[in-house]
Amino acid sequence: MSARNDIFAAIRKARHDGAAPATIISEAQACSQAMKRTLPPLDTSDLVGLFTARVSAEKVGATVERVAGLTDLPAAVGRYIAANALNTDFALQPDPRLEQLSWDNLRPGAPLRRDTALAVGLALGGIAETGSLIFHSGAEAPTLYGFLPLHHLVALDAQSLMPKLEDYAAFASGLPVPRNVNLVTGASGTTDIEGVLARGAHGPGNLHIVIFN
Amino acid sequence: MSAPAGTFQERVDKALGNAQLKVALERTTGNARRKRAAAVEAWPDFVAARAAAAAIKDHSIDHMAYYLEMFERNALASGAQVHWARDPDEACRIVIDICKAANAKTVTRSKSMLGEEIGLPHALADAGIRRVETDLAEHIIQLAGETPSHIIWPAAHRTREDVAILFDQYHREKPTAHDVVSMVGSARKELREDFFAADVGISGANFLCADTGAICTITNEGNAELTTTPPRVHIVTAGIEKIVASTEHALQLTRLLVRSATGADLTQYTTFHCGPKRPGDLDGPDQFHIVLVDHGRTEMLTEMPEMLRCLRCGACLNHCVVYRAIGGHAYGGAYPGPMGSVLTPVFDGLEQTRDLPSACTLNGQCRQVCPVDIPLPTMLRHWREQSWRAGYEPKTLRAAIGLWAYFAARPRLYQLAQAVALPAMRLFAKGGWISSLPLASGWTAARDLPKPPGESFLTSIRKGGTP
Amino acid sequence: MPERGNALDSPRVGLFVTCLVDSMRPNVGFAAVALLKAAGCKVEIPLAQTCCGQPAFNSGADEATKPIARQVIETFEPFDYLVAPSGSCAGMIKAHYPELFADDPVWLERAKRLAGKTHELLSFLVDLRGFRPQNVACKASATYHDSCSGLRELGVKAQPRALLSSVEGLELRPLEGDETCCGFGGTFCVKYSDISNAIVGEKAQNVVATGADLLLGGDLGCLMNMAGKLSREGARTRVFHTAEILAGMSAYAIGEEATGAAGKEAK
Repeated sequence: MSARNDIFAAIRKARHDGAAPATIISEAQACSQAMKRTLPPLDTSDLVGLFTARVSAEKVGATVERVAGLTDLPAAVGRYIAANALNTDFALQPDPRLEQLSWDNLRPGAPLRRDTALAVGLALGGIAETGSLIFHSGAEAPTLYGFLPLHHLVALDAQSLMPKLEDYAAFASGLPVPRNVNLVTGASGTTDIEGVLARGAHGPGNLHIVIFN
Repeated sequence: MSAPAGTFQERVDKALGNAQLKVALERTTGNARRKRAAAVEAWPDFVAARAAAAAIKDHSIDHMAYYLEMFERNALASGAQVHWARDPDEACRIVIDICKAANAKTVTRSKSMLGEEIGLPHALADAGIRRVETDLAEHIIQLAGETPSHIIWPAAHRTREDVAILFDQYHREKPTAHDVVSMVGSARKELREDFFAADVGISGANFLCADTGAICTITNEGNAELTTTPPRVHIVTAGIEKIVASTEHALQLTRLLVRSATGADLTQYTTFHCGPKRPGDLDGPDQFHIVLVDHGRTEMLTEMPEMLRCLRCGACLNHCVVYRAIGGHAYGGAYPGPMGSVLTPVFDGLEQTRDLPSACTLNGQCRQVCPVDIPLPTMLRHWREQSWRAGYEPKTLRAAIGLWAYFAARPRLYQLAQAVALPAMRLFAKGGWISSLPLASGWTAARDLPKPPGESFLTSIRKGGTP
Repeated sequence: MPERGNALDSPRVGLFVTCLVDSMRPNVGFAAVALLKAAGCKVEIPLAQTCCGQPAFNSGADEATKPIARQVIETFEPFDYLVAPSGSCAGMIKAHYPELFADDPVWLERAKRLAGKTHELLSFLVDLRGFRPQNVACKASATYHDSCSGLRELGVKAQPRALLSSVEGLELRPLEGDETCCGFGGTFCVKYSDISNAIVGEKAQNVVATGADLLLGGDLGCLMNMAGKLSREGARTRVFHTAEILAGMSAYAIGEEATGAAGKEAK
């Protein structure tokens, strides 16, 4: 017999699972609901405030600024480049909403390379509970833009914030399943040497989030 | 890379004789305990959350066949190839075959305890394939030629001073200084080229999501994504117990997993990987293989189903007084600490590993901190019972317990023996303490024994009538 | 003592003294009797008792444990309560006897019934008798180790502290790692003596670091382990079972000679 058949036979021998799919589905939902009832209280009246507090907390360690609209992003990028003494050419995530912005004296055309200093991207959404950015990979959102650069600057639409992880799960269940879902919570870090946190392990050492309306 | 050698006692002797080990373990596990405590403190209903998490895992275990079929169906639809392996040999063979078919010279690997369990590093070496570990701690122990000593912090046995020596010796660009940040920077540069030179990237999985066919990895360095995205082939190795019903369940469990492991709300990178590169994608692997491994798990469904809940958070290790004293290598298996002492006999046989469940004080703290409420002490005692029944326990211990139990079930006989033993013991006392006593060296080697009274409590009561 | 309006105003308590107290420190047994009486109980001490069977049970020798457990059940089932000055032994009877007889319906029923009325001494005094010691003084600083079985199997944590707060002059100091195992673990401490030594060594350091005069706890096994290590290390900390302090029977600490060197009373 094939390994697959052997394994399934062994599972079925151990668990005579005669439950109807409908029963299993409702049991699974009951499990999620039970977990939700235990969650710590979370004031979700101000999602931007909550997200900002979480993501700029020491253990997440990103920086956040707020601008009026997406058209203000190039100015924010310019300020970031100046503040961090970076080169003016940077890699831009190939999202049309970013590409059509007027970048003036900045040079967003740099290809993404293994030593890219700055990449600028656009998140699909954010999760306030954890301070996480959501990326779904695709032609307009290659995975590596969030992992190769030393600095990752991400634009986030305030309207796209959702309160909790469960809200993201519900949101995602209505979309096609992407190749990669990346929930990014702060800059890359490691605690592998003596449990001490150090930033910039392999992914970006700096994460800057620009929240726009 | 060499697995820990010798008997359990020899490994323990070696560990206890290494003063640096205690320093390293205390720095890592102490940090972990403090951060976990703070995270749990901020979740008032954490006890109920543990029960809910256990129920979520139990649900997928109860319907394991249903969910594995659903997972397989969805994974295949995404373009993934799904392989099944009954045992480590079969799993390694599948991985090596895929590597060979891809003509792979170099593979990068993102930390996976299942990979260690099935001996994948050895198998890759035997096949002549260059393996580059990309998790910082795995990188450290690869340089040191060691195996992991902790399931979350594989280099928990190494101090920062040890790491500095290794990086100075092996890195092309030496660390500019020996603080943690500089050393992490040096490793970043060292590994960067390898991410792009690799033909195959191998990861584990924290969850297999039945509803989407995606596998979930959780890292804080970003090495999993850099391991799995640039190479032509991504291979996932995962135990079948990693199955969960849905993305929602995976995220709900992650909340407890991460808090229990590092004290964070969420690790930096929680990533769901679903199939190979799609039309239009600028990056991603051409092939996506998932190798699902049984290796005793279907037996555990009957024998110890609660153990299949384990999320591999490492909290039981960090809180175990024995682990903190002897470190991970003394356990001799891929998984150390309380969860390892339950699992290793499943994988390596009880006769060879009977010391592991015995070398435990049954103090229960492991269960208390377990995010899915696994009754670890009960399971460890269960192994002791099996070992006793199978006759694996040493003859001297069997004789001593047997003799003692014979007397203990016969109060009069017991009290007669006691009336002889207590005065005899007193002869060895100096002042109020006995510092050495025949047949009790196990006690007196480490500590003094108080001088017993001339007569027992019950003898006094008998002589003096009712209290 | 307490005036409680239930049928058990003066319950019959069978004292399960535990093998360690019986052989190694009778004073804890006498202190337990005194406290239970002060808490309004009728105390009886069946002479046909030895041990709860933990050394065999925790070695995996279930069949050898059963005769011991049956004898404990037979001896103590006539009482309103079984009380033991040990969280570990009470936990064995309460939590593990039913596990031991899981496949034996008759003894399972009897084991469960006994489990339902089995209590660790200090929590029994507080939770069931509402007891607080009166006119007991002990001018000393003390630190407290929470023994694992009592803490995790029976929830003994607040009760000993509540009782000790009524002892005049006693200052309780926090102990780093007070809920961390001391490395006793019954047969563990002799089977894996060197690991146990490493664990109790750390515990002894933490105890000494408090600077407290006394180390208190509710389980003699753990107390002997810690006292023995403290003695070996030359520490001056004096170690008592909490019951001894509460009953004002604290003339001699563990390892102090009952005759000779006077003046070492815990005051």
